[in-house]
This record gives sequence, C-alpha cells and structure tokens, in this order.
Amino acid sequence: MTPEEFDRVAGRLRNPAPGSRIEAAQKYGIDLTLLISQLRLTPEERARELEEAAQIADEVRGAARRRRQ
Amino acid sequence: MNVRTAVQVLSDGGVEFVIIGGWSAILHGSAQITNDLDICFSRKPENLGRLAEVLAPYHPRLRDLPQGLPFIWDASTLRNGTVFTLNTDLGIIDLLAEVSGLGTFEEVKAGSVLVEAFGRRVLALDLGSLIKAKRAAGREKDLRALPELEALLEAEEP
Repeated sequence: MTPEEFDRVAGRLRNPAPGSRIEAAQKYGIDLTLLISQLRLTPEERARELEEAAQIADEVRGAARRRRQ
Repeated sequence: MNVRTAVQVLSDGGVEFVIIGGWSAILHGSAQITNDLDICFSRKPENLGRLAEVLAPYHPRLRDLPQGLPFIWDASTLRNGTVFTLNTDLGIIDLLAEVSGLGTFEEVKAGSVLVEAFGRRVLALDLGSLIKAKRAAGREKDLRALPELEALLEAEEP
C-alpha cells in the first residue's frame, strides 16, 4: 500500500460514511483504530505482531490453567 | 502455535497451498488473534506426497481421533479425505482440499494473492474470497469475523 493509499484507507476508517459497512463494523464493536494500526504495517509485520500476541495469549491461558490446579 | 515454522516448512517443501481463515485475515489487516493455521492444499498426487513428507516430522494426528487408535499419516491418507483437523508439534493445523463457497484448490488459488509474510512469498485468500468463504461456512465464529473483514474491504475499495 502506498502512503497515498494508506491515507485514503485510514481516512475512511477514521470517519466512517453513514450507512457504510465500516460504520456497521464500528457499531458492531470493531475497534477501527486497531485496523488502522494493522494497515500501517506490511503483511510480514502484521503476521509477526499477531504471532507475538497469540503467543502471549497462549502463555496467559496456560498460567490461568496452572493457577486453577 | 508456531505458524511461521509451519508456513516455512510447507513453502520450502514445495507444497502447493493457500493460507485461508484467520491468518489470511491477519495478512489483510485483521486484528483478531487466531490459534490455528488453516490451509487449502492441492490434491495433485505429487503434492499429497510433499505435504505428507514435510509435516511428518511434526507428528500430525487427527484431533477427533480417540487416544490409542492408530493413525497413519501418509499420502494415501490424504488422498482419502478432504478435511484434516490436525494437532501437530507446531500447533493446530487444519488442511482442506475444498473451501465452502469457493470450491476446489484451483478455485481457491484463483481467489488468492501472493503475499510476503513469514519470511516467504505465499498465497493467501484475497479479502473478497475470504468473506465469501466465511459467509458460506456460516458458523457463528465465521459470521462474527464478517463485520471487520467487510470494513477492511470497503476501506480498500478504489
């Protein structure tokens, strides 16, 4: 995504048009600022970030299970 | 889940596959964490052999198979099925020869894009196809993913 394309995409997500699917997602509870953050990254960086997040989630789940035992 | 290693061994082993599901959503900008890797694979005989070979070191086993029952992981097993929900040493990997709403591997491949991720150039479902597949799958978790994916698609429209 070029910087110009990103600006256009981020602008739509920051200011959803009334009746748009973006507005519907916002009303559904999707944090559009998170999407802007992800779109700022390359696919490689997006994958890396979510891999780390998934790993932390696994560790937390494991810790909660251990605490219950 | 060691998704990076899983994608790399598939890619380096010459397996013909497309990343579908949650990880394809992530590559398009989704912020939803997923704990499994879903891939669509080609059923060409040579591909089944490669797929069986590269995953064998990670001890794939069907998740719904009762403990104690034997499971043989090879190209013949892959030839006899279209959906394999696996536990592996790398984590949960689901292999599908066909995708709801899209069709066979060739049709899935036609609805995919080449992406640089996991240190490789890999095919991942494009956003429109991913939405179509999620809608066709129709499970609650698939439908829950739609608002975010549709927002991403609309935001990226020309």
